[in-house]
Amino acid sequence: MAEARARATVVIGVGNSLRHDDAAGLEAVRRLRTRAERAGVVVCEQQGECLGLLAQWEGAGAVVLIDAIHSGRAPGTIDRLDASATALPAELVGSSSTHAVGIGEAIELARALDRLPARVVVFGVEGRCFSAGEGLSEQVRAAIPALADAAVQEALRLAGRSATG
Amino acid sequence: MSEDRQRRVIRTDLLARVEGEGAMYVRIDGRQVAEVKLRIYEPPRFFEAFLRGRAFTEAPDITARICGICPIAYQMSAVRAMEDACGVAIDDGPLRDLRRLIYCGEWIESHSLHVYMLHAPDFLGYAGAVEMARDHREIVEQGLQMKKIGNALMALVGGREVHPINVRVGGFYRAPTVAQLRSLREPLLRARETALATVRWTAQLPFPEVERAPELVALADPGGYPIDLGRIVSDAGLDIAAHEFDEHFIEEHVEHSNALHARIRERGSYLTGPLARYGLCSGQLRPLAGEAAREAGLGPVCRNPFQSIVVRAVELVQACDEALAIVERYELPDAPAVEVVPRRATGHGVTEAPRGMLYHRYEIDDDGTILDARIVPPTSQNQLAIEEDLRAVVEQELDLPDDELSLRLEQAIRNHDPCISCATHFLKLTVDRG
Repeated sequence: MAEARARATVVIGVGNSLRHDDAAGLEAVRRLRTRAERAGVVVCEQQGECLGLLAQWEGAGAVVLIDAIHSGRAPGTIDRLDASATALPAELVGSSSTHAVGIGEAIELARALDRLPARVVVFGVEGRCFSAGEGLSEQVRAAIPALADAAVQEALRLAGRSATG
Repeated sequence: MSEDRQRRVIRTDLLARVEGEGAMYVRIDGRQVAEVKLRIYEPPRFFEAFLRGRAFTEAPDITARICGICPIAYQMSAVRAMEDACGVAIDDGPLRDLRRLIYCGEWIESHSLHVYMLHAPDFLGYAGAVEMARDHREIVEQGLQMKKIGNALMALVGGREVHPINVRVGGFYRAPTVAQLRSLREPLLRARETALATVRWTAQLPFPEVERAPELVALADPGGYPIDLGRIVSDAGLDIAAHEFDEHFIEEHVEHSNALHARIRERGSYLTGPLARYGLCSGQLRPLAGEAAREAGLGPVCRNPFQSIVVRAVELVQACDEALAIVERYELPDAPAVEVVPRRATGHGVTEAPRGMLYHRYEIDDDGTILDARIVPPTSQNQLAIEEDLRAVVEQELDLPDDELSLRLEQAIRNHDPCISCATHFLKLTVDRG
């Protein structure tokens, strides 16, 4: 796993590819990878427990995280949450995580240890199905292009580059 | 059920700091514990169905996806079972060394996550690692450092840290060079020192006086502390080969859970994992780990599940010390893998995942197509023993207020580091007093 270059901007897709909509974050980073990397943004996936995020964003100036959310709203709903200064809302994180330490906990742990990049933006997409199996539900699949687009725009903005790279 | 008796139901919907999610339900009628249920909602049979029709060579990579915490355990049980089916045994030499090395990496990663981040807050009075980190930064930093060396082992031998891609039936796709492995020596020496300090630190934590007596079941390997192979033994006299698993262990559906509960025929619940390994095989720890255990005041057997944090720390010393020995003696194998030719047969593989025994059985066809698969993860095996622990805690702490009792019960579950994701996904902890 490539560790972040000093002061770089990193985009990390979080999820489990065999838990249906939990794979949304992974699908999104696969879609935006080429465009982001061309602009010098580091792109990673996190399929294990979220403590691994601390190593992935080590040294980075900004991080964009993409993950599935399970909060009972319409599947495919996209959120943008800025966790640079404040914790993610508890009801949006940790409720359906397959990861030992959830994304919200990893962010707060890093904050307590001064290991959090200065800018942290989380893009979430509401999932419908988190049971074991492959493939996104229809509504989540339809939301992936917009999710990837929003995340890459954010990453390029944080990296101080225009969206055209 | 009598209406006039005081009835308490303790229900907690979110089980913090356990892999995946879970639910616990406890009902108390008067001063009687009427019901204790650890709920697991999702059928675990997806992966077994997913494997049918696939090539025998795909099993290690497919099963590695079951859990982000212990992919190596799944890969190792899968390759052992496939090699068993095909009449191949990798029981010594550099290929087995590499297998044990990567497995040590997984133990280091998994145990350091549990010891420092998930279990320690229970003893220091914090809700979780985040709250603990604000006051005890050094503990969390130690955990992260230890995890890092585990990650490095996984990345070097496994090709990457999460869901390693270098393991195959017969060995590895590519063997690391001698220089690559020797480069791990210095970090492992430091990790071993940290692990020794962790044994001393965990030994002085405040433990409740609890003694539990489930049948302990683990692998026994004459060559050393069990990780990647051995016979299945218990403190009640069980001593069987992997292929006899089905004759002695049964799995059954229980009403409140979609996962299967395993039990030993005739005798019932049993415990696998660090307490079982230690209780059955403490005499086979490497000298440094055995000495650390003695200094920590652990006898040859530890029956207090709260002290599993000390046993995990001892196993961290064991894993670091064994990994060091391997990186120091490693020589490049002649080939990164031996040839494994499929044949119509059934194969069995059992290894010691960080949380306990993991059993795989595959039936394959002449061309290597998987006809049938069965996976029994450690958490399914430990489920009944954990429920018995919960019942004992409730009986002992009946007078505690709901919130304190609920916390004690959560801790009793965490003592066993259940990886609910291995068995299933959603699990919610429930403590309810009606």
